Amino acid sequence: MTTTRIPNPITDGLARGWRVFGGARAAAPAAIECDVVIVGSGAGAGITAELLSAAGLKIVIVEEGPLKSSADFRQLESEAYPSLYQESAARKTADKAINILQGRCVGGSTTVNWTSSFRTPPSTLAYWREHFGLSELTDDAMSPWFYQAELRLNIGPWLTLPNENNDLLRRGALKLGIAAAAIQRNVKGCWNLGSCGMGCPTNAKQSMLVTTIPAALDRGATLLVETRADRFELQAGRVAALHCSGVQPNGAIAADARVTRIVARHYVLAGGAINSPALLMRSAAPDPNRLLGARTFLHPVVIALATFDQLVAGWQGAPQTIYSDHFLDVDPIDGPIGYKLEAPPLHPLIFTTTMNGYGRDAAARFAAFPNSHALLALMRDGFHADSPGGRVKLRGDGSPELDYRLTPFVMDGARRALLTMAELQFAAGAKKVFVGHELALPYASWAQAREGIRALPMQPLLTKVVSAHVMGGCGMAADDQRGVVRPDGVHWQIDNLSVHDGSLFPTSIGANPQLSVYGLTNKLATQLAKRLSGREVKLAA
Amino acid sequence: MKRRTLLKLSVAGGATLALIGGGAAVFYAPAWREGHLTETGRRVLGAVARAVLEGSLPAEPGPHQAAIASHLDRMDATLRAMSPATQREVGDLLALLALPLGRLALAGLATDWSNADVAQIQSALQAMRSSRLALRQQAYHALRDLTHAAYFADSATWAQLGYPGPTKIE
Repeated sequence: MTTTRIPNPITDGLARGWRVFGGARAAAPAAIECDVVIVGSGAGAGITAELLSAAGLKIVIVEEGPLKSSADFRQLESEAYPSLYQESAARKTADKAINILQGRCVGGSTTVNWTSSFRTPPSTLAYWREHFGLSELTDDAMSPWFYQAELRLNIGPWLTLPNENNDLLRRGALKLGIAAAAIQRNVKGCWNLGSCGMGCPTNAKQSMLVTTIPAALDRGATLLVETRADRFELQAGRVAALHCSGVQPNGAIAADARVTRIVARHYVLAGGAINSPALLMRSAAPDPNRLLGARTFLHPVVIALATFDQLVAGWQGAPQTIYSDHFLDVDPIDGPIGYKLEAPPLHPLIFTTTMNGYGRDAAARFAAFPNSHALLALMRDGFHADSPGGRVKLRGDGSPELDYRLTPFVMDGARRALLTMAELQFAAGAKKVFVGHELALPYASWAQAREGIRALPMQPLLTKVVSAHVMGGCGMAADDQRGVVRPDGVHWQIDNLSVHDGSLFPTSIGANPQLSVYGLTNKLATQLAKRLSGREVKLAA
Repeated sequence: MKRRTLLKLSVAGGATLALIGGGAAVFYAPAWREGHLTETGRRVLGAVARAVLEGSLPAEPGPHQAAIASHLDRMDATLRAMSPATQREVGDLLALLALPLGRLALAGLATDWSNADVAQIQSALQAMRSSRLALRQQAYHALRDLTHAAYFADSATWAQLGYPGPTKIE
């Protein structure tokens, strides 16, 4: 048996007597009373839990996934995907054309994200002010909320040299004469391992798992794990209780599942996009304008892999440390869809399922894994009438499914993005480029790639499209004609229910969304804490 | 006697049901039951593995058979971790592919999975992949992605990828 020198805030906290129920731990009580229930434990839930507990409020956090810690994070995809991701990392849109990566564990997606930290772009906030009446969300007004989150989560410049996977993006962009810059990260003492997506084994990533959730638990908060929020019990326009059930590791509910009824003064829904609107749907929440679950956005991502003469080792070193926003800025935000370029990490399962094909051709491509580079383009959806996003629906068993149509408007962006990525990879010295499309051949030159990609039919299920950012579905707006939630985060029709997660966003963000969730929910939760407790609290000095 | 279950398919499946005779329902042998792949499921996935993993599986017959057997055990574990909705869909897909008419309609494969050679299965996969019918494309992606995900989860396969495994953090 090996011992590790890594301090473990979770096992330490449990030893101090944290109140955690569910899963293999003591069953949750059948009835609980508290001041505030928070559904979820990810970005919005964590920030809210820290602030409300600091205000002296008695809170209960309900998380469907398990409580895991650095001791469990063995940098293995085969363990991380089933235990830490929604639907075992195989969540898909209804037409199966988009695979969605979303966290499902204590800390939510912050436990498994790649640490990329961007404030909400000014052009996105301007669009929200103009089209959704969110006049308070100016850059100046939001700046302190972002700043506090940055302080609290150690978000700052990453001063280590980028790994080769990211440096190829930097060098390719330089050759093409487009701007590329460094990505800020939420890490403290990062070991530069590259395993962020499987849970940080050294607790360097300042996820909710090691920051806000422990802070709330140290103040006496209760955490229910492996427990699904089934439905809100609604009475006379208010939530009267939240009903929960214990779930099995794969999300199934056993016939003898433990059930818990939680009564609170206020309810905060922060289960993440797709899940949050689904809980309101299961609760038959009022939805007079048919907005609930609509306008769910994904930042649809297309991918290009390339092989180089030199070693790339895409698994090694901090993921996503360089980006380019050049193609977000060439057209107006409401023009043809723009895209952000980043270089994602590569591990065996992500690589072999992303690379096209099967049989001997695929085996030969797999053998070039150490020399393989990956680029992704995430498209900024939701700013144009032809990019209305998807709609969340419930299956017969009550589980949610996202119906998202990849419109010709979006797929036009996908083609431009594939062209850009292939051109950039060849400029950086690629020998072969493999774009994520079932009919694409390996290209040996930019001229060949340009001709080939221009001729590809840009159809769903032929074009490989993935998503790691789910946003919207409980959109915020200045009136109930345009949104599910008011500018203060409270549901338009249910006044003791707030939504504090990425489902609030009225469009996509146009950048990796974690800091957007932190900043906006910091504002909402600080103000909610004042309303409920009368006390002033602050996320950071 | 083999347990037979009424097959229910989703909206997308309706197209295939129409293709294989227009009936509202057919009887079939389940591919996924009580949290495990049945022999039916293993038969289809074993044949798919021979084709998808050609060039990755060991060449010698003994190790080849052993690699497929352990791959199918990992596939079983992979599916067990999936949501109930995904288990139902994959189970239905495999059961449909195991039926002669379903195999013909969905995969375009005339020979039974166990007797088909690698080239025949690969041309069936290619036909699904490039089909204009969404259900056939979805079937291709499910079979290929699950196969790669289960196979390369085994650290013994990483040498082929030149992947050294996780960095030690002692």
